[in-house]
Amino acid sequence: MNWRVIPLETCNAATAMALDEACGEYVKAGGPQTIRFWRWKPSAVSIGCFQSLEEEVDLAACKRLGVDFVRRRTGGGAVYHDYEGEITYSITAPEHFFGKDITASYKLICGWLVDAFAQLGIAAEFKPINDIITGGKKISGNAQTRRGGVLLQHGTILYDVNVRKMFSVLRVSKEKISDKMIAAAEERVTSVKKMSPATYEQTYDALVAAFTKGKETGIGKWTDAELLRAKELAETKYKTKEWNFQR
Amino acid sequence: MGSAALKVQGGKLLKARVETSGGRIASLKLTGDFFLHPEETLAEIETALTNHQLNESAITATISSLLQKNNAQLIGAAPEDFAKVIMEASK
Repeated sequence: MNWRVIPLETCNAATAMALDEACGEYVKAGGPQTIRFWRWKPSAVSIGCFQSLEEEVDLAACKRLGVDFVRRRTGGGAVYHDYEGEITYSITAPEHFFGKDITASYKLICGWLVDAFAQLGIAAEFKPINDIITGGKKISGNAQTRRGGVLLQHGTILYDVNVRKMFSVLRVSKEKISDKMIAAAEERVTSVKKMSPATYEQTYDALVAAFTKGKETGIGKWTDAELLRAKELAETKYKTKEWNFQR
Repeated sequence: MGSAALKVQGGKLLKARVETSGGRIASLKLTGDFFLHPEETLAEIETALTNHQLNESAITATISSLLQKNNAQLIGAAPEDFAKVIMEASK
């Protein structure tokens, strides 16, 4: 079966997460394995499913800056998704495509990202568990879950980082910074724009090329059933206090 | 209510909020940027550790056996790390 590619779209935080979940249900029911790309509008913070929203996110700063927030259903850390400065992808496919070994599957999918960065002239590498780094700085973060035989991996590609804004909405723990022996949080991340003359569009094109290389693919769209289900999940799960503030 | 955080070497950040009573865990919340598949296992761990004795190796054993029972995979941390941060938070 061909991979379905859903081209870059714009979503709010709850809808973005709801579409990933609706897509997973569709793939579980026999729908096509899917690659999708999107950007977040309004800009948003997503937190890992085991994190505390209030510990990780400065909610007053979010309100002031018009930044949305959502809890993911994947683990991992808090991420600031800037509308102008970031591209997000997700891969949804039967688990057996990637095997049982979770670290190996991160490495495989992150390898597509490394290829995309290489096309942009950026020498990047996979850094277990779930990061991609260049020159020691993070340029992409990724997170995976497996449910009912379906793998979901989503991740972010930093195109242009506004570190001030990023770290005004994220609360970075002292433990994490000291461990990496980097005093300034600003030193931990980089972006495509800092490393390459590539435009946003060229970055997206490189991602599509790397993700679809060697695969039978077709440009696709959401089914009506997925859109309906995503709308339901956004309202009943991802927009609710019960979900977002559960930890 | 006590709290503690632990950055696992080469792994993830764990945080615990613990309330104790008479040498036992009265209530517990575990958070962090680790991965655990299936994700529901974390709530089960918290339930299993509620009213559990405050003993680091016993806590490790309880978490390990729950992971095994659920065929769960914990990535970026080990049961020992959870036990350590829980003990730290209960001081």
